[in-house]
Amino acid sequence: MSWYAAILLPQFPLQAVLRLREERQVEPIAVVEGGTEKGRVLEMTGAAAASGVLRGMASTQALARCPALRLWPRSPAQEQIVNALLLEVAGTLSPLIEATGEGLCLVDLRLVKECDWREWGHRVRERLASLQMRARIGVASNPDLAALAATRAEPVLVVQNPGAFLADVAVAEVDAPPELVAVLRDWGIGHLGDLARLSRGEVIERLGPEAGTLWERAAGRAQRELRLVRPSEIFAEAFDFEQPIDTIEPLHFILRRQLDQLALRLREAYRVVAQMTLTLPLDGGAPYERAFTIPTPTGDVEVLFRILHTHLESLRLEQQPIGVRLLITPVIADSQQFQIFESPLRDPNRFGETLGRLKALVGEGQVGVVQLKDTHRPDGFHLVPPQFEKPGVREEPAPSRTLGLPLQRFRPPLPAQVHMRRHLPVMVFSEKAHGEIVDVSGPYRGSGHWWDCGAWSIEEWDIALDNGALYRLSKHQDAWFVEGCYDSPLR
Amino acid sequence: MLARRFPEAARPVERHWATGWAAIDEESGGLKHGAVTELCGSSACGRVFLDRAFASVRERGSFAGLVDCGRTFDPGSYEATVLARVLTVFCTTAEQGVKVTDLLLRDGNLPLVLLDLQTMAPRQLGRIPMSTWHRFQRLVEKSGAVLVVLTPQPVVDAARIRIVLHAPWDLAALKRSRRELMPGIAVQIFRRGRQVAATEETRVQTA
Repeated sequence: MSWYAAILLPQFPLQAVLRLREERQVEPIAVVEGGTEKGRVLEMTGAAAASGVLRGMASTQALARCPALRLWPRSPAQEQIVNALLLEVAGTLSPLIEATGEGLCLVDLRLVKECDWREWGHRVRERLASLQMRARIGVASNPDLAALAATRAEPVLVVQNPGAFLADVAVAEVDAPPELVAVLRDWGIGHLGDLARLSRGEVIERLGPEAGTLWERAAGRAQRELRLVRPSEIFAEAFDFEQPIDTIEPLHFILRRQLDQLALRLREAYRVVAQMTLTLPLDGGAPYERAFTIPTPTGDVEVLFRILHTHLESLRLEQQPIGVRLLITPVIADSQQFQIFESPLRDPNRFGETLGRLKALVGEGQVGVVQLKDTHRPDGFHLVPPQFEKPGVREEPAPSRTLGLPLQRFRPPLPAQVHMRRHLPVMVFSEKAHGEIVDVSGPYRGSGHWWDCGAWSIEEWDIALDNGALYRLSKHQDAWFVEGCYDSPLR
Repeated sequence: MLARRFPEAARPVERHWATGWAAIDEESGGLKHGAVTELCGSSACGRVFLDRAFASVRERGSFAGLVDCGRTFDPGSYEATVLARVLTVFCTTAEQGVKVTDLLLRDGNLPLVLLDLQTMAPRQLGRIPMSTWHRFQRLVEKSGAVLVVLTPQPVVDAARIRIVLHAPWDLAALKRSRRELMPGIAVQIFRRGRQVAATEETRVQTA
């Protein structure tokens, strides 16, 4: 006998918005479609239902019945995540799965070793519960019957005898054309059991082929192939706040929960985090997005949370966040054995976190490893993120190719007045360097980018002053500057 | 019990970071791990020391942190290959530099941290609380890192080792190799205030 399982997430839109805030399940909350003011109630919590709020009710009417009711809009992002999670779990049960609808998927169990399906169903429920999802599970001999069983499961239902199960199911409960249901009602056929007792040929003769399909379902004989899907291996979490947030605490709270969930899934897939992409949809603005590369991929929630926490501490946004999305790029956990001559960092992730703190303290472009630009233009460099986590290699002592005393550079260069005699500078006046020039070396001329709009040209002189100080002067388009100091007398 | 019976065996082994600068390494083998070293004197000599320290980082296949207070560090004056091993942090004030150094020492990943305060005004240096240096000493003791503070004049009370560098320079020095410059620098080394080594500067003749 072939078996199919249906996994149904009841009250799907409500489950999606309450997934990472289960504690609010006890409050009167309703999810509405079509705006919170003019919409209609889709789903509501038990507290709201107890106050008389019903599905399909206008939101104003629902508020009249329950003044404490909180109306939340549907969250497509969270629903998408929950659907993906459902398929991901289903994909671990069997390779043959169907995404039947919102919060409903079917699993073909023909490739699964037969066992006690009730116990199996409870195990699946526990797994979904660890991902903060409530499920009902129906197991039956055909897909449609399994789906029907899931809607009536409390919480797991295995249909051993389809005839007995279907006898009590109302015709209106199954997905049948309304006209056909109306005709059957006029005939006095209210349950599938009544329909199954009629002759299939005569039903088709009188009501058409659609009635034949319904009859097969009523008899528990409807067989169909699943529309197979492959679960996407996307490790992401999404959350929309009830209203724009003013403080960082709710963001920390939700991010922590999201990381806990993602870490759980990653552990099951034997993966660790290589990169995190944080997206904050903003109230009336373009979303803020930031990617964090994890120096040593890890699944440690504490480390990952610290990285996000450090960044958020220094983050200033123009608009208030209305949600948070976290996307993980996973990699297979790498077991690395250090070699004797390698000198990697003790704790690369801590180092990454420290870099974040340093950037917050001194500014984004003020921390990093110097990378010289491919130009002869003075002071041409930029700072790039260090790659220290890669194994270090000892290098043989090499003679330095740089000459002379290193320069202490003034940024920006100090404007100066320079007196010339016989084409040589003889006196300089500036904020730091002033006096008679007793020795001079130069000029050293340089130019570049004359072929485009970034053209530059410079003339540099090294000078010694009468007090023993050594400076570098530069001349740009007839203006003199003190570029830096090689040596100055002791203060 | 073993430590009481064999106190010599229990004494931690002193480790040193060889700089490759004979005058500094001869006395004890280099810069002491787990100790704050203050390097003061002329700023030109301090930058020659930086060049040597960067080279030693490359030779060890290690990494270092440079905290540049005053944003005066000129990368063009150093080898590009050694700079790839140095995390450079540009700070505007001495106070900011101290905070950055504190973070780097607490992080404990970099075995060598260089705090360059040479261009800071004496007023700014005077505002650094004494307790800062003692805190840094405790941090490096814990991590085993080497902290070198480059200053224009002695300000680091907690420095276990103070190296004073001095040399008169002329324009000819700008055409010499760095190796040739080092013998021209007079080096005095003090341990806990007591001078333990000194070399005289040697005038290097240009060819």
